[in-house]
Amino acid sequence: MKRLLRICLILPILLTSGCWDRTEINDLAFITGTAFDLTENGESLLTLQFAIPSASQSGGIGEQPKKFFVLSATGKNVSDAFVKIQKKSSRRLFTSHRSVIFIGESLGRQGINDVLDVFAHDPRQRLRTYIMAVKGGEARQVLEAQYPFDQVPMEAVKEMEIEQSEIAVTLRDFFMASSSQGIHPIMGVIETDTEGTGKSKTSVFKLSGTAVFKNMKLVGLLNSYETDGLNWARDHMEDGRINSELPDGKGNVGIIVSHANRSIKSEITEDKIKFKILLQAKGSLVENNSTLDVTRPQNLILVQQTLEKAAEKQIQDAVMKLQKRFSADAIGLGRELYRNKPKEWKAIQTQWDSKFSEADITVDVKLSIGGAGMAGPPLQLSEKEIKH
Amino acid sequence: MKRFKKWMKARPKHPFIAEGSPEDIEYVDLSSALDQNEAMFQAIFKNCSDMVFRKVCYSGQESLVIYLASLADEQLIDDHILKALFESDIEQEQGRNSSGAEALGKSIISAGMTKLSSDVKEIVRQLLDGYAAVLTDSDSQALLVKANGVKHRSLEEPSSEQVIRGPRDGFIENIATNIGLIRGRLKTARLKMESVVIGELTQTQVVITYIVGIAEDSLIEEVRSRVTRIQIDGVLDSGYIEEFIEDLPYSPFPQVHSTERPDVVVAELLEGKAAILVDNTPFVLIVPMTFWTGLQASEDYYIRWPIATFVRWIRFLFIFIAIFAPSLYVAITTFHQEMIPTNLVLSIASSREAVPFPAMFEALSMEIVFEALLEAGIRMPKQIGQALSIVGALVIGQAAVQAGIISAPVVIIVSITGIATFAIPRFHFSSGIRLLRFPILFLAGTLGLYGIVLGFLCIVLHVASLRSFGVPYMTPLGPITMTNLKDILTRAPIWARRIRPQATGMSNPVREPAGQKPSPERNKRK
Repeated sequence: MKRLLRICLILPILLTSGCWDRTEINDLAFITGTAFDLTENGESLLTLQFAIPSASQSGGIGEQPKKFFVLSATGKNVSDAFVKIQKKSSRRLFTSHRSVIFIGESLGRQGINDVLDVFAHDPRQRLRTYIMAVKGGEARQVLEAQYPFDQVPMEAVKEMEIEQSEIAVTLRDFFMASSSQGIHPIMGVIETDTEGTGKSKTSVFKLSGTAVFKNMKLVGLLNSYETDGLNWARDHMEDGRINSELPDGKGNVGIIVSHANRSIKSEITEDKIKFKILLQAKGSLVENNSTLDVTRPQNLILVQQTLEKAAEKQIQDAVMKLQKRFSADAIGLGRELYRNKPKEWKAIQTQWDSKFSEADITVDVKLSIGGAGMAGPPLQLSEKEIKH
Repeated sequence: MKRFKKWMKARPKHPFIAEGSPEDIEYVDLSSALDQNEAMFQAIFKNCSDMVFRKVCYSGQESLVIYLASLADEQLIDDHILKALFESDIEQEQGRNSSGAEALGKSIISAGMTKLSSDVKEIVRQLLDGYAAVLTDSDSQALLVKANGVKHRSLEEPSSEQVIRGPRDGFIENIATNIGLIRGRLKTARLKMESVVIGELTQTQVVITYIVGIAEDSLIEEVRSRVTRIQIDGVLDSGYIEEFIEDLPYSPFPQVHSTERPDVVVAELLEGKAAILVDNTPFVLIVPMTFWTGLQASEDYYIRWPIATFVRWIRFLFIFIAIFAPSLYVAITTFHQEMIPTNLVLSIASSREAVPFPAMFEALSMEIVFEALLEAGIRMPKQIGQALSIVGALVIGQAAVQAGIISAPVVIIVSITGIATFAIPRFHFSSGIRLLRFPILFLAGTLGLYGIVLGFLCIVLHVASLRSFGVPYMTPLGPITMTNLKDILTRAPIWARRIRPQATGMSNPVREPAGQKPSPERNKRK
């Protein structure tokens, strides 16, 4: 009897703490992507893209079935719109498989604080979701694009981000950057595009640069060229390419960088803050359209210097734009100060934005080129034409 | 539970009659009158049509040969008893003083095993064992001559434990042959065979065998006491004995190892265990059994050790799959959809799109169908086996999926589980595992992963507390013994397996001297 009592006492503890939210997998609507927009009368427009599971099985013959569908609703805030969409859906909305969140440019400029609030504290939202800004137009257009690869288009966007060809920012990165000292958050930018002509026209999307945020508001966009520069400066370049024209119209050369190491030196004087961004990179020469024989040391040095200058300029351009146009420190120079010179940082912390735009930033790139043999002298030229 | 226990332990109203037959025949000792003796045996074996009474006159004396035609070898009786009696020389006989049964055994009957007895009970027992009894006039002793001749099947490879490399003989139903198979492998006088007769009516011979000096005395004493206290009317298979001697009868895990292979028995005897042979069954019991025995095949020790180690790891993996695969599928797809990669969740969702049942019901029904197929496959006449495999493949397979009743992932999961079950080499062990699948599946369907963890904990607690003849079931993992662990987690090379298992072999722990690892220098020296 005592044993029975014990079992009766233990059983409720074990059973009541279980997860009783049993839902069959075919009663769920898998959200793959979300877009936030601003309507003309100031309401927020929420658009969700759902995967259609039955269609993702390979049909083979016949017309390809639709792989996804899109629902949208407006509301006073995000959860209001979310509830409205739930009413349109026969299945429970399931957010855990969402891979990307898109922010419309107009909403971004107005501020995304209200939108992101949900993601900060709801456990069903994944912080590993990528967040991107949509350049021009509405964010929902990206969700409606018929992308032919992948089961659902949003998986394609996720793959693009994982490839890290440009800026890949997840919600977690974004929150971390926006809550830490001395850095302004950024996110990747995507835009819709069309490919092909006439009937075979398909809508695709492409990554195009970086969106810089300041106080949760979009302050400006960097294009792809500047984004590469920013990535160098942020020490986020995994395998970048540098291409450059050689002086005197000798042709152009290009390298793939395999290892890059950035270091920042800061110096604070009375009225000026000086930064020196030093980038040490190793790469291998992959393109040589000039007549130079790069296996010769003097030619290699010429190529190296040219490429160093090109990289320096690329970084400078990005830094200039951040300093002068946006006055937003997306590189994290302030964070360097916060980490290395905490006392001085405390003094200038409040006016960092203006100090940043006045700071004196120099960029120094040191390249070491290996694999000259990969390029060598151009094969199509005869021995005489090659300059040694 | 109380009721269940009461039901299991229900006592019949009638007492157990230990002495067998309730017939009212008085077993008096043999008298010296042959007629009287004959009449008594006639009465004892009344209505036994296979009983033969053969009266013979030799040397002027009357004698009676009785035997059971169904058990005795009639050729032997003809050649060595009857012929011998007829051809015996009267003159020569009369020259001797002695007469009667003793003289018969000494000088006339040329069979190998004979004994004298005047105890009727004993004689009856021996007659039922295939002996022939020769009674002579004016002698109150009978000569018993061993003449068994029951036909046995020949040695075959045991179908339940097949190997690619290794000996191919298996035990048969005759205990004498089985003992011979063990003796032939262990040529030492230290191999002991203790015989016990169990079963009031079957009078089954049960032999406890062990190696003196390796097996611990306490273990043998325990086996002896557990076996000898059995009281039952009949023993038809070693399974009868197993159920009487196991430690925890309610456990799904077998605590007594049974095998058809003599090499397995010898290997276990060398580790200090005891084996119990039962007449009329090819299955020999080995005690104590550990959890790991269930995961080891005899072949592990015959193939090279890296391969055997790999195979063991595969088995460890598959025992988990065999218990948890269907439950994990059900738990994850109905409770934790966020755990599955997006592309996979979409393909699972698309295959479940048309299925009307909840995932748990789907998995449960497929598992039950699989069990039914298995059971049918064992019991079915061989001639219609083909039909079953065709129908089975249709049920668990394409047709069910196409009809939209079952989703394809469940079919895959059930098939993998089935394969995993058969990857466990000991059938009696894997049956226990198969049984555990269902409660876990139910837990997974109601509580999700949490339920699986609960079930897993219950299994671990149970297995860790289980004992077989005083040896913890998880030895040497729990309690841990590092020296023995290398033969559990891997299959240690034979030259590295120096120490016998600590649980059973500690009275003589060392198997082989150290330093026998082959190396180029050592091989050269030779």
